[in-house]
Amino acid sequence: MSATISETEAGTRRLTTAKAISEAIAQEMRANPEVFVMGEDVGPYGGIFGSTGGLFDEFGASRIIDTPISETGFIGAGIGAAVEGMRPIVELMFADFFGVCMDQIYNHMAKIHYESGGNVKVPLVLMMAAGGGYSDGAQHSQCLWGTFAHLPGLKVVAPSNPYDAKGLMISAIREDNPVLFIFHKGVMGLPWMAKNPRSIGPVPEEAYTVPIGKAAVAHKGSDVTVVSVSLSVQHCLDVAEALEGKTSVEVVDLRTIAPLDRDAILTSVRKTGRLVIVDEDYRSFGLSGEVVATITDTDPRLLKAPVQRVAYPDVPVPYARVLEYAALPTREKIEAAIKAVMKG
Amino acid sequence: MSETISFPVMSKDENAEGVLATWFVKTGERVKAHQVIAEVMVDKVSLDVETPIDGIVTLLVEEESSTRQGTPIARID
Repeated sequence: MSATISETEAGTRRLTTAKAISEAIAQEMRANPEVFVMGEDVGPYGGIFGSTGGLFDEFGASRIIDTPISETGFIGAGIGAAVEGMRPIVELMFADFFGVCMDQIYNHMAKIHYESGGNVKVPLVLMMAAGGGYSDGAQHSQCLWGTFAHLPGLKVVAPSNPYDAKGLMISAIREDNPVLFIFHKGVMGLPWMAKNPRSIGPVPEEAYTVPIGKAAVAHKGSDVTVVSVSLSVQHCLDVAEALEGKTSVEVVDLRTIAPLDRDAILTSVRKTGRLVIVDEDYRSFGLSGEVVATITDTDPRLLKAPVQRVAYPDVPVPYARVLEYAALPTREKIEAAIKAVMKG
Repeated sequence: MSETISFPVMSKDENAEGVLATWFVKTGERVKAHQVIAEVMVDKVSLDVETPIDGIVTLLVEEESSTRQGTPIARID
């Protein structure tokens, strides 16, 4: 039982990532009347993954607004409100649903600031759930942060733990540019989903920020750099701890996908000379390739061995549990990749 | 003063199995009144459990274990 709680000082308050996110929103809403939440089931239900739990009771229906199933409509309304000076948090529910509202996201949210010559700001947070591992099929399990990060004009964050989730949400709300806040369902610490104890952790009660665009060294090491984001960071930390004494693994938690913290990647690889990337998003044309290019664009001689990528194969997410786990980044695959890159 | 905290009765079906989904504290830790110490679940409905008083907590059931509604889950001394 004790292993399920991270080793912190007794008396430190702990929260699940879901509760950390809703606390961040509540604190910013108390401080700023321009902040409000809009989306499907964000009200009395508290968000289907708990990201807005308890907010309706405190702020009521005028600031925690349940919407019809009309993503183009409510994201467009959020953009309009942001342009007029409010600071909306709009929840898309599943990242996979972006298909029905992508024009609002990439032609309006991402471009209004540029097309207005910098005169119009869009301080909007678009929050969404991502990722698989619980047999929800090909249309409810994708990560897709690479798809969004590909588009100029958007910032994209994806926390791996409760502390970063609260700090990044507060930064996102205060940010004058549109931010996509992508939470993996597996990091939320939900009671009905298998959870890694890393999804529950110490969170300061006061409001604080985690900077957008800054990675964190989540586990120090000297033999190999493992770059990852979101839920996969938890798996990487499990592997790094299991390998202690054999291989010294440095885990870099990107925390933000766009803008990518290239300095943090380079700093670590300069030290280790070996690189593994673990990404639950699709392998081709995405984040994992971009991390490699960060090295090769700078100096390919930094690498002592070919890079290993543990990323989602270029197939739709299978529903069958055994097939889904055959495709997902797992601790076993991460460990095998670390061993392979150490041989090279 | 001490207080026993029981698994809340959330379902009219008294045989419905509850789950102690998450402990936010560990045995021996000091807690403050109204602090959320656990999240419990019955039939996929979850609820936060608070401590009514200040004190030192002792956990009586394991995380993720099936627990009948009304069962003592923690003691505060």
